[in-house]
Amino acid sequence: MRIHSPDASSIVLPLLVIGGPMTLAGVFMLVYSLGGIGLLSPGWTLIHWRLVLSDPQTWISLAYSAYVGAASLAGSIVFALAIVFSLGALLRRGALGTLIYLPLTIPPIVAGFLTAELFGGAGLLSRVAYQLGWIARPADFPVLVYSRWGIGIILAHFFLVTPFLVLLFDRLRRNERVDALMQLAQTLGASRWQTLRRVALPVMLCAARPALSVYLIVLIGAFEVPLLIGAQSPSMISVLIWNRFARFDLATRPQAFVLTTLYTVIMVAALLIVRRARVGLDRGER
Amino acid sequence: MQRTLAGLLSLSLIVPVALLVVLSLTRYWIFPDIFPAQWQIEQWQRLFQGGSDLVPATMCSIGIATGVALTSTALAFPASRGICRLRRRGALLTLAHLPYAASPVVLGASLLYVFLRLHLADSVAGVMLAQFVFAFAYGIILLSSFWNTDVESLIGVAATLGARPVQVWLRVLVPRALPLLGICLFQTFLISWFDYALVLLVGGGLVDTLTIRLFQYFEAGDARLAATCALLLMAPPLLGLALNQRLLTAGLLFQEIEHDG
Repeated sequence: MRIHSPDASSIVLPLLVIGGPMTLAGVFMLVYSLGGIGLLSPGWTLIHWRLVLSDPQTWISLAYSAYVGAASLAGSIVFALAIVFSLGALLRRGALGTLIYLPLTIPPIVAGFLTAELFGGAGLLSRVAYQLGWIARPADFPVLVYSRWGIGIILAHFFLVTPFLVLLFDRLRRNERVDALMQLAQTLGASRWQTLRRVALPVMLCAARPALSVYLIVLIGAFEVPLLIGAQSPSMISVLIWNRFARFDLATRPQAFVLTTLYTVIMVAALLIVRRARVGLDRGER
Repeated sequence: MQRTLAGLLSLSLIVPVALLVVLSLTRYWIFPDIFPAQWQIEQWQRLFQGGSDLVPATMCSIGIATGVALTSTALAFPASRGICRLRRRGALLTLAHLPYAASPVVLGASLLYVFLRLHLADSVAGVMLAQFVFAFAYGIILLSSFWNTDVESLIGVAATLGARPVQVWLRVLVPRALPLLGICLFQTFLISWFDYALVLLVGGGLVDTLTIRLFQYFEAGDARLAATCALLLMAPPLLGLALNQRLLTAGLLFQEIEHDG
């Protein structure tokens, strides 16, 4: 029996709801960036593309976004793995078994606000440092929020992503029977460090790769946290787009759409590469 | 050693949330005091009595998120089946990831012109429509993990016993998928509830939600009201955590999704 046939009608809605806006947005940003439309548009031109592509800020912003995304994720991976292998079953028991879910209830905008209140010049850690006699005034505290190195953004993302990764790695450790594999390796003469480095980590990181790739893409495109506690310059790509888009000077708006086009192409390509790699991996496993 | 580490980790998880509570109850707290010099609960009292400025923003957020969650889950469920029955479903599941790859800022800015032409900009309906794209895409990704050969066999059995298509959906598939539909409903609610970028772009400052308020209070340096907004934003997920931890960990299902794709 067929509830409805798996023909074109069954995919009309997804194509309409997701494909429609994506196509519309893609065409609009491209046409706007080429001067085809826009309030102050002088007509079709490549000038906005030339301006954006020759502007070092574009490439700095893209590289900065990649750096912040990668640093946040790398820090979270290392810390989450350390927790999973240090605490093991303790993660699933008692108060910690519930508390580990707590950061999952925090939206990015709240994480940004919390980072400012914890790590800012007059934040909680700065106050503790003062009471311990380590600093004499708020300005003595290291600049972590609004830092050019994006430390505040990385800390906020770290706080958001690490619990997810702890839960993910803990589940993978059980699903992939990592402990049994490690025991087998040790029986065959491997040291604890060798079993960790050459057995456990490759198995878990390989299994987690799809999820980690998606996290990386999301972190690179983060908006709320860098807007709230990021430095003015360099800025992450989503904030740069917002600044060019929302300026009172309408002349910069086509540049915003050049940036959106560029960013979308890069991210969609990254997504497709991740998918192809996954499909290749699955075929290899079969 | 393990116990100490677990204790330290627990403390680091509690401190941020405790800080929010303290900030929301603070009247006077200057550097370098570790604890506030004066406390107050006025804005919480006003909130519960319905006289606070935060009440309209809270109601607006609840209304938008509920509408987005209900429509996206209701439509994503049958749509996910349509996709899962295709041979090349992986391509369509990748399509569902595209809005997230493009990011809400990019999509919001690019669709604003269309929303303006349709008179949907600066309106609640426009914000809901924009958020719906993301929530629906997420619903498809999540619910696609429901469809497998067991479910298809069940559909076959129900049909053999004389059930009509509508009966199969309402009496067989919905009850069986109820836990996952609950997760989908909750997660799509949170997608809308946590959203800032689309409300900012499509709402144009006229749609007043808690995320918009939090940003405004933070910029104005009012940590007390910003913390109150933050706690209100955390209330639904905390409730979800109290009910069922699985409601919050649906993101981990990316694993299964990618394997299916």
